[in-house]
Order: sequence, then structure tokens, then C-alpha cells
Amino acid sequence: MATIQLQQVEKKFSEFYAVKPMDLTIADGEFVSLLGPSGCGKTTTLRMISGLETVSGGTISLDGRNVTWRHPSDRNIAFVFQFYALYPHMNARQNIAFPLQAEGMAKADIEKRVEEVVKLLHIESLLKTHPGKLSGGDKQRIALARALVRRPAAFLMDEPLGALDAEFRESMRAEIKRLHLSIHATTVYVTHDQVEAMAMSDRIVVMSAAEVQQVGTPAEVYYDPANLFVARFIGSPGMNLLAGQHVGKQIHLTGGGQYVIPDHLHGPLTEALNGNNDIILGFRPEAAEINPDGTLTGNVYATDMHGAYTMLHINLNENEIIHIRGDRAISFPIGTQVRFDLKPDMVRFFHPKTEKAIRGEAHS
Amino acid sequence: MAQFEEVGPAKPITESIRVDKVSPRARVFHNLRALAVLVMAIVGLIPIFVMVVTAFKTRSDVVADPPKVFFNPTLEGFVYLFTERALLPQARLEEAQANAEDLGLFGRIALESGQEITAPSDYVNRLKNSLIVAGVSTVTSVVLGLFAAYAFSRFNIAGKDDLLFFILSTRMLPAVVVTIPIFLLYRQLGLHDTYLGMILLYTAFNLSFSVWLLKGFIDEIPREYEEAALVDGYTRLQAFFKIVLPQAVTGIAATTVFCLIFAWNEYAFALMLTSDQARTAPPSIATMLGRGGIEWSAIAAGSLGFLIPVVIITFALRNYLLRGVTFGAIRQ
Amino acid sequence: MSSTSPSHPANRRRHLSDRAILNLFIWPTLILLIAMNIFPLFYSLYLSFTNYSAIARQIPVWIGFDNFSKILNDEQLWQYFAITGRYVLLSVGLQTILGFGMAMLVREKFRGSGLLTTLILVPMMLSPVVVGLFWKLMYNPTFGYVNFLLGLTNSSTAPDFLASSWAREFVPGLALTAVVVVDVWMWSPFVMLLVLSGLKAIPDYLYEAAAIDRASSWFQFWRITLPQVAPLLLIAVLFRTIEAIKSFDLVMGMTGGGPGSQTELIAVNLYRQAFQGQFRTGPASALAYIILIIIIAISNLYIRFLNQSRGDD
Repeated sequence: MATIQLQQVEKKFSEFYAVKPMDLTIADGEFVSLLGPSGCGKTTTLRMISGLETVSGGTISLDGRNVTWRHPSDRNIAFVFQFYALYPHMNARQNIAFPLQAEGMAKADIEKRVEEVVKLLHIESLLKTHPGKLSGGDKQRIALARALVRRPAAFLMDEPLGALDAEFRESMRAEIKRLHLSIHATTVYVTHDQVEAMAMSDRIVVMSAAEVQQVGTPAEVYYDPANLFVARFIGSPGMNLLAGQHVGKQIHLTGGGQYVIPDHLHGPLTEALNGNNDIILGFRPEAAEINPDGTLTGNVYATDMHGAYTMLHINLNENEIIHIRGDRAISFPIGTQVRFDLKPDMVRFFHPKTEKAIRGEAHS
Repeated sequence: MAQFEEVGPAKPITESIRVDKVSPRARVFHNLRALAVLVMAIVGLIPIFVMVVTAFKTRSDVVADPPKVFFNPTLEGFVYLFTERALLPQARLEEAQANAEDLGLFGRIALESGQEITAPSDYVNRLKNSLIVAGVSTVTSVVLGLFAAYAFSRFNIAGKDDLLFFILSTRMLPAVVVTIPIFLLYRQLGLHDTYLGMILLYTAFNLSFSVWLLKGFIDEIPREYEEAALVDGYTRLQAFFKIVLPQAVTGIAATTVFCLIFAWNEYAFALMLTSDQARTAPPSIATMLGRGGIEWSAIAAGSLGFLIPVVIITFALRNYLLRGVTFGAIRQ
Repeated sequence: MSSTSPSHPANRRRHLSDRAILNLFIWPTLILLIAMNIFPLFYSLYLSFTNYSAIARQIPVWIGFDNFSKILNDEQLWQYFAITGRYVLLSVGLQTILGFGMAMLVREKFRGSGLLTTLILVPMMLSPVVVGLFWKLMYNPTFGYVNFLLGLTNSSTAPDFLASSWAREFVPGLALTAVVVVDVWMWSPFVMLLVLSGLKAIPDYLYEAAAIDRASSWFQFWRITLPQVAPLLLIAVLFRTIEAIKSFDLVMGMTGGGPGSQTELIAVNLYRQAFQGQFRTGPASALAYIILIIIIAISNLYIRFLNQSRGDD
């Protein structure tokens, strides 16, 4: 069993929080991503789990064992670095074998383990080469092999694909995911790329400004963002967010236009708002249906061809741009007026002040 | 140690540091290191401290056995250094003592040992020579070096590497190898013991240094700036003066100071190629003889005065020191 | 007159071509260097084949390889080479070890480390002859600080370093060692500075990976630290070796070659032969050439490493 548990773990520099106190439980075999923009605290959190960074408060437990103050090598974890961290004066094979040699394992056993791992990652041809002569992708494979060879309880990865060229990133992403599925090891993965996190994770921990914004499955953070940050950050492009006033059964959008609230949402919404009328309406590009009788209207500002569909940038009112999807077959010249509706079950609401999502029993 | 691993440190940690660097054992080592460095720094600086202290001792204090650590400071050494004195006959001694307020500070100190100041010493002259020779040769070597460095940096020159090697290799020669023929040459040309002779030699010697150092600095200025200027219609020369030069100012300053230090400290050439007129300070400090042997306090005073500018400059240049002493090869 | 008109002063000004600028910028430097370096080398070479003396009123007389063979057969001279060799080995060796050690100590930041590092760098910026003179005072057996600080104050049992005696008995090589100490004092900071810059360039993540793999300190030193620092260390050693062979100022300030000829480094002897006594310019030039060849060989190595390390940028 290799569960990881963080209890009120925080990192503070004098008065400034790099990571605000957070609780997190990662189940055995789970692939969890720490996702967020630069400086959000995700790498610091990962490093605290590994012991490369001390906590200024809280406890870290691995498999129920308190490892908060244990030597990094004493936590049964392996770390994969963004810049590979391969020992330059040893060849690939020696790099991979090294952690086992440091443990004092018997030579024969080391050979066996190394063979295993090499086969798993298909890196036989690279073994005699020195890291300096390998490509980024190959170096990362060697680094993964070095991590795997110890059979650790958990893998910690710090933006491992960050230093690779775009074309390699996709293939390496698939490799890492395949690896995870085959050996089923607990993995904590740090990235700023939400596409990556969405594609690979069982759960995502979305972080911003030292705080956890939401913990959920990819579907949850995508379809049910907990606040405005998550709504904007997840998805490319992020969720469309329109400010407005709740009046009767409608929302009067600030820039003009009305949105009729679907009946089943009306009650819960009024209750949640509790008299305050300011509200933010959110919907993803695919939630919009272009329809000549649509209730919302705007002008085409720009179009992006995306192969299977066209992403339309619609100017709603005075430069409030939203993104909606359009059928590839129809052409949308710039300036065309477009009318559309929103699918009722894909619409979300947020408090402008607290930035939190307004949720009623209608959702779940 | 088992305790630390269970419980952690006494106070929460608010800096970025690894867990294994915070254990009590690691902390002990850390403190030991700091201590070792402190000890080394102190021991290393003792000689300089000794020098400073000796400059302010009286003649008898300097040769006290065992050496005095506490003493009454005096400017005697400086007086010996900067002045020629003569013993006053008894009659004039009393008269002088009566009018002591008329004398300057140095005059009064000389009076304490029954002497009067007759003239500035040779050393003053030597210092002047040092300033002139070092100053002028530094300016010329930096200016010439700057132009050459720019050319080497920006243009493709046939045999560039060989030329640069040649320029650097001139610095590798032992002083004496160069001085023997130059001594003869200078004698024939009448350059022996002249400012011009010394300036020429120092400039040549410093050029190797300034070319390499400045080339390194200029290499760091992106060519795009000049190229943009050239596209805008500036000539190469204008681009050099308006664009490269301002950005190279810190590099030029650092190079100037290094060249100055070398020329200022230089001893071998000065010893062999000058005798009296153009002799600089370093060869003279070694031979300060007074009544009864070597005037240590004068030598200390001279050394101190000689070294202090260099110390101050070392501080000012500390970020460039590594670069300076390796001819621009390595950056800090 | 508008500035775009061809007769406007700015447009009439002669534009120097790149080629002209190139020549203008480089030639003055090259000419000066050739005059002050190439010429002396050739002149020196010529003189080494003569029996010329700078103070005798005679023209140089060609004597072929006489000077060279005399030098190579001169035992006294071989002794001076040996003394210089010992000095170089001892001095450079100690500087390297001490400098490297200091760099390893200073690499972790602690309070005041910046200031201390800068202070340690002062000795190497000082004039060697003045430093030599100063240490002469410090080594004095009666009123010098060295004996005092070491607690060796009993005049009958105390050492007189610069006279190679301890407790009134002759200890060979003591004076040379005393000079080595001063050279090491001056230049260990130089080695430290170079090694330190190399140490700082080693990325932290290598050590972090080693921590997670529980690599021993010895492994970390041998497989991570040393290989990364080796090129710089080598540059330091080469540079200091060349300088140590040329060493002149320090010894002149401290001992003048004495006591006897115990600290007669080869550069000092060269000076004596050429500029003192009989001014035996011819033979001295021959000796100078031999020294030159030795140094050129070593300088070659230095410059090669210099280019290599710059090429890595």
C-alpha cells in the first residue's frame, strides 16, 4: 500500500506563504496532478513530499508512516526532475543501476532489476551512452528508469516533460501514462499544462497563489469548476464568463442582452443568491448552440480553424469576447452576426465577490 | 538524531532548505565550516594587519623584542618616508623647540628626534613617477586594447585565434627574458631610465591583458544593437562610439583598474630599466636605509600607502576579480 | 540645406569602410606588441650565441652553442633549476590543496561569507616585492610576528626562517619553505576563486538526485563535484605553475636569493647574471631562452584549456 497523506502542510517564508495549509489524501495507485500557473506552490508541495524542501508546519505521511522529517532517501519515493538530473560522468546503465548500488543490493539482483526496467521502457540501445550525448526524451526515459528501478512506493515528477520539444511531449505523455497503468504505482505529477493534467490524471489538484482551488477528477474540474480561477484555467480556451444582474427569471448581462434561466435552476439559484443580485454566468464553448432563433447575439470578431470545428471569437457587446464552437462546414466571415443558445445543463453560475461556484441540488 | 526524525526541529523553518540539511548533525557541520572559514580569514589577514600596525610604530617599537602588540601610535614612519631630515645642532634645536607651533605636523614629529626637515625625500619623487608611468601606460593600453578587442570581437580576421594566442603569450614570458634585449635597445635609443621607455613597455605588457579582457566584455554585448544602428544609417565607427562604448563602460572600468594595478605593482622592469630619473616606487621601497639600518616603519608606511589604493579597488572590483585574473576567460 | 542632400556635411564625411576600421583598430596594437616582444625575442636569440657583455666596450662575438653547452654542464645552474622546481611543486601543490579546500568550505552560504571571501582575495592583488619585504620583517627572529605568534620566543631554540636555521642549527631548505608559505598565502585565494566559480555552476538538482538515491558524500564529491570542477582547477594549476617558474619579485623582496643560494630561483639568477657583476649578457640570454622554451611548452597547455573552456559557453 502506498498512500500519501498531507495534513495541514504549509510552507511559509517569514510572513509570506509559498503554500497555505493544505490537506490531501492520495490513494494507492492513484495518479494525481498538482496543476497551476508558475508560482502557485505546486512544485514546493511536491518537494515537501520528497524531503527536498522542509515544511514549516503540518505532517506528511507515507503509508501511515510519518516521514515529515525523514531523509529524502528514507521515504521510499523516487523523484523525476524537469532537467533529468542524470549523473554526467556515468553512462545510462550506470545511472540506472546507481540507486540500487547505493542501497547495497547484490550485483546479480541489480542486473535483474535493471534488465526489467530497461525492457519496460525499451531503452536497450541507450545503455552505453553518456547523458551528455542523449536527446531530451531519451534522457527522461533514463531518468524514469532510474526512478522505477527502486520499486518505490510513490513516484514524484516535477514537470518532467517541461524541457522537451512539443512533438516529444505528446508521445512521452502517453508513455508515462502507459507506464502508470502497467505498474499501478502512486504518482504525484506537477505540471502547469492543463491539457497534460487532464489527459493523465485520476485526480487533479488545481492550485493558485499558494492555495488549493479544487481537488477533483478531470471531469469534475472541467464540468464543475469550484471557482472562477478553475473555470478560466481549465480548458482551452477557458470557460466564458459573463457578468450580469439576476432579475426575475432572467439574467441581464452587463454588456446588454438577456439570458433566460432554465426553469429547474430558477429556484436553487434564487435561494443561493439570497437577495444579492450580482452574478456571473459561465459556459464552455461547446455549450453554445448556434441557432437563427437564438436568444443571445454577437458579431464574429475572429475565427480559428481547429480541424474538426471552428472556434469563433464572438464580440458580444463592446469588446466582450467569448468563444463558441461552430460547425466547420459553415463559414463565418468576420463581422457576421451570430445568434446562439446555451444548453441548459452546461451552464454554470458564480458569485462575483467570492468567486465561488453557485451550486444547487440540481447539479451533481 | 532519532528524536529529530520523529519530532522535527524546535522552531518552524521559514527558509528554503532540504530536510537532510536541517538535522542536528548537519547543523553542527555547517557551524564548523563557518568557524573554519573565519579562522582562515583571520589568519590570512594577520600579515596585512601587521603591516598596518607597523606603519604607525616608532622605530624602537618596531624592533622591540618580543614584538609589541600594544603601543603608542605615531606618524614617525610616514615622516621618515616622505622627508629628508638633518640633525639640528644644539643651538638651533632650542630655538626650533621654542617655535614649535610654526612647524607643520611632520616638522614637529621630526623635532621630537632632534631633526629638521630639509626636503621631500626621494620617495615622493618615486611615487610621482609611479603615478605618471602607471597612469599614462594604463590609458594607452586600455584605449589601444579597446579598439583591438572590438575588431577581434566583431570581425572575421584571418588567423584570429593565432593572433590572440600571440597577444596572450607575450604575458607568459618571464620579465627577465624581455628585459635583456630591451635594456640594450633602450640604451642605444636613449630610452633607458625615461618615462617614455617605461610607458612603452608597460603598455605593451598590459595590452595582452586588456585585449583579452575587453574582448570578453564586448563579446557579451549583442551585435543586434550595432546591426540595427547600421541599418538605420549609422557608420560602423558611429555605431562603435554611440552604442558599443556606452555598454562597455563597466568592462572598460574594470580593465582600466586591473591594468593600473599591474603597472602600479610592477617591480622587475622598473628595477632593470630605470636607475634614478624614472624609477618608480616598488624598487625604491626595498632600499630604504636610514641611520642604523633598515627603516622598518618607513617601509611599512610606504607599503601601506602603496597597498591601500589596491585594497580599496579590490573591494570595488570584487565582482570582476575572477574575470580579471584569468584574462577574461571565466565569469563569476 | 536639408540633411538628405548629398552636400550636407554629414553625408560628405568620408565613411571609413569596415576594412579600414579593422586595420586602424588592430595594427597599432600589433605593431607595438611586435616591437616590444617579437623583436626582443630575436635579439635575445642572437645574443645567446655570443659572448656579449653589456658593460664591456666590445661588439658581440659569435661563439655558437658555447653558452648553451656551458649552461647544460653547469652543476650550479642545475641546482638553481632544482630549487626552482622544488619551489614550483611545493608552492603550486599547496596552493591547489588549500584553495580547493577553502572553496569547498565557502560554497555554502553563511553570514558574512561574501565579505570574508572578498577579504581573502586582497593578498593576491598586492605588489609581490612589497609583500616579500613585509614578510621579511615578520620572519625576523627577534622582533618578527611569526615567531611571536607561534610561541617560539626563546632565542636559543627559536628558528630563523630566512636564515635556514633552527635553534642555531642549519636546516636546509627552511628558507625556501618560508618563501613558499608566503606564495601560498598570496595565491591560494586565486585557486579558491576559480574553483568556487566552478562549484557554483554545478546545478543543485544533481545533488538533490544524489540525496534521494542516498549517495555517500564521497560519491557526490568524486562523481559530481570533481568532474565539474576539474577543468577550472587545471587552469588554475597551469596558470600558477607558469607564474611560479617566473617568480622573481617575491624572492627579491624577501631574501634576494639567500641565505647563500638557497632561494636562488632561476629568474633571480638570470637577473644576477645579466644585470649584476660582469653583466654577462650573452650567457644570460642563452639561459633566458632555455627558460623561455620551458614556459612556452606549459603556456601552450594553458591557452589550449583557455580556448576550450571559452568554447563551452
